[in-house]
Amino acid sequence: MSRIQLENVTKKFGSVTALKNVSLDIKDKEFFVLFGPAGAGKTTILNCIAGIQLPEEGVVKFDGEIVNLVDAAHRDTAMVFENYALYPQMTVYDNMASPLRSKLYKKDEDYIKTKIQEVAAMMKMENLLERLPSQLSNGQKQRVAMGRALVRSPRVYLMDEPLAHLDAKLRNAMRTELKEIQANFGTTSIYVTHDFMEAMSLGDRIAIINEGEVIQIGTGDEIYYMPCNEFVAQLMGDPEINLISGTLAKSEDGYTFTMEGAQKTYELPKEKELFAKLGELGLSKVDIGMRPQNLLYSFEPKEGYIKCSVYSYESIGNKSVIVAETSGLQLRMIAPNGLSVKIDQDIYVDMQLDHAMFFDAGTKGYLTRYNEAAVRAIAAEQEG
Amino acid sequence: MAGLRIEHLYKRYENDGKKKNAVKNDYAVKDLNLVADQGEFIALLGPSGCGKTTTLRMTAGLEDITKGEIYIGDTLVNNLHPKDRHIGLAFEDYAMYPPLTVYDNIAFNLKAKGVDKAEIDKRVREIAPLMQCDDLLDKMPVKLSGGQKQRVNIARAIIRRPELLLMDEPLSHLDGKARQAMRTEIKRLINDIKCTTIYVTHDQLEAMSLADKIAIINFGVLQQYGTPAEVYDDPVNEFVASFIGEPPMNIIETTIIGEGDHFLFTFANSNLKIAVPERYNNVVSNGFKCKMGVRPMDVLIGGADSKGTPEEVATFENLGDERRIGIHVGSSLLMLITDDETRYKAGDIIKLEVRGEKTHLFDIETGNRIRA
Repeated sequence: MSRIQLENVTKKFGSVTALKNVSLDIKDKEFFVLFGPAGAGKTTILNCIAGIQLPEEGVVKFDGEIVNLVDAAHRDTAMVFENYALYPQMTVYDNMASPLRSKLYKKDEDYIKTKIQEVAAMMKMENLLERLPSQLSNGQKQRVAMGRALVRSPRVYLMDEPLAHLDAKLRNAMRTELKEIQANFGTTSIYVTHDFMEAMSLGDRIAIINEGEVIQIGTGDEIYYMPCNEFVAQLMGDPEINLISGTLAKSEDGYTFTMEGAQKTYELPKEKELFAKLGELGLSKVDIGMRPQNLLYSFEPKEGYIKCSVYSYESIGNKSVIVAETSGLQLRMIAPNGLSVKIDQDIYVDMQLDHAMFFDAGTKGYLTRYNEAAVRAIAAEQEG
Repeated sequence: MAGLRIEHLYKRYENDGKKKNAVKNDYAVKDLNLVADQGEFIALLGPSGCGKTTTLRMTAGLEDITKGEIYIGDTLVNNLHPKDRHIGLAFEDYAMYPPLTVYDNIAFNLKAKGVDKAEIDKRVREIAPLMQCDDLLDKMPVKLSGGQKQRVNIARAIIRRPELLLMDEPLSHLDGKARQAMRTEIKRLINDIKCTTIYVTHDQLEAMSLADKIAIINFGVLQQYGTPAEVYDDPVNEFVASFIGEPPMNIIETTIIGEGDHFLFTFANSNLKIAVPERYNNVVSNGFKCKMGVRPMDVLIGGADSKGTPEEVATFENLGDERRIGIHVGSSLLMLITDDETRYKAGDIIKLEVRGEKTHLFDIETGNRIRA
């Protein structure tokens, strides 16, 4: 059992406030991700939990017990760092054995051997045990660093960007591997990352951190489909979500949305709950959020499509992104690889508005979206 | 402006006894042949140490040529001084003059050449908006962000109106979104100025999104030279197939068996069977061993009435924009990408359908494509 709680934690470095009133409640055995841009305060949160840093205000609790005054060595956490921190003179086996040979967590050599073999098998590194760190690739080093944490059964695993050092391909492959062994952890894990794919893939729940504050907490689906503001919407997803400013107006039996710049008016698809919510809010200026996969394009003129020109066409791996431009507005959409698209050629774009999210044009906060009830139901089930 | 022609180019670094692998791999570049037509954007792509930067440096005249010829336009440049090659250079490091303003940094080379002031001013003001640095001209380099520095750096390279623009990993200092935005800007810029460009990168995405043609290099040897679509859809060997695309192509050892009048890929410790495209009927036989390659986009989840092989989900990753599923095939993990909204979990059974016509065959020993 290890439930980890932070209550109103504030951490200052001199005159800089690194964490402002951070509260988190991480459940036992949960894989919890702290996600946000560089400098957001994610690592500081981890350090406060580890006991490496002491908050000025607020409390850190392990299973309901305040641990602020328990020093790092006695909190029984296991950390994995971005820069591996392996002992260069020790073999992989001895590196992995080191925490179990420490005074505090001492185990006998038979136990150590069994445990290392078990973890090495899980992480597919049985053949590396006799090597020195200098004989390992970066991916293998990170595997050892993680394995060294996993041989222990601490109250919580703390992982600080363990994959950030690796190049894109290896990072993706390792993320999938981590996903596969994650179920075997059986221990509360807190994982820091600035990569939204890692956050989405690995996290039972994700906390979005920005400028020392918790912005939103939820499952990946919840945050992806119902981001609490435009900032979060832009963080989740690559290519970035399209945010289109415009004006809402009541029509005969519903609402119209007039896009700024392009001066195109759309009749919003009918949905009772959405229209009720829009009526309640009574706003006229909104930003509509459209994920790139919900935009349609055609190279021939088509009824209802807006005329744009191609700003760029770029591969993002197994698919490509077209950026289309119309009167200063750039629209991103997904297309297959290998199309023969010329820069500045005409392209016609339509939006599947029944996937739209609505944000307040002033505060940039989330208002509502299509199918909100369904998204809430999925999130509730996931949080179980 | 001119094209570039590289013929039978070799580079060997003298073994000074310090480099451990100097003997094992004594040529840094080996018999490289490459033709870039005028105005083409060519990416030299490969892992670090593959010889791509060495090739670029030989083209620029910063490195001696061991053997072979380099032509810019119709001029053999082997023995030309770098300044007489009419090239523009933009490297990963910006190397700006810190005491000079952005304006003076951009103008520096023209000043050094003795171009008159009015002409310099005209050209700087022409280039600056192209690179979106018109409002930076009075700033000092220290005041610039990484993206802005790289913009100035590129402006400085193209102001000389080079015949050939050489860029070495110009984006690798930048992160995430700045990098993506800058990539798009470079692409649009080159499209505007129509300058023949050689661009070195280790990032297949950059190469795929920027280049007209990609030269994929490994251990100093050119593996394949073709358009992004060609190297993606028609790779010549296992190296190219797995280097291009993310997640990479699934490549798994297979034993082909004959069944009636057609053949099937089968895999050790797996029930999965995939139809071998008919066009291979003359090159495969019962018991034929090779590797099968298939892209994650060409592996599909069948519906309820699918005849696909039932397989257990090993990993399920919900990435928001898409979902990735891993299936154990023997000791390999076969990855598939889907837009399917179902939230699977490890242990669920799905019907796996593989687009047999999209599979590739590779030789187990050499890694070369086996063609029909």
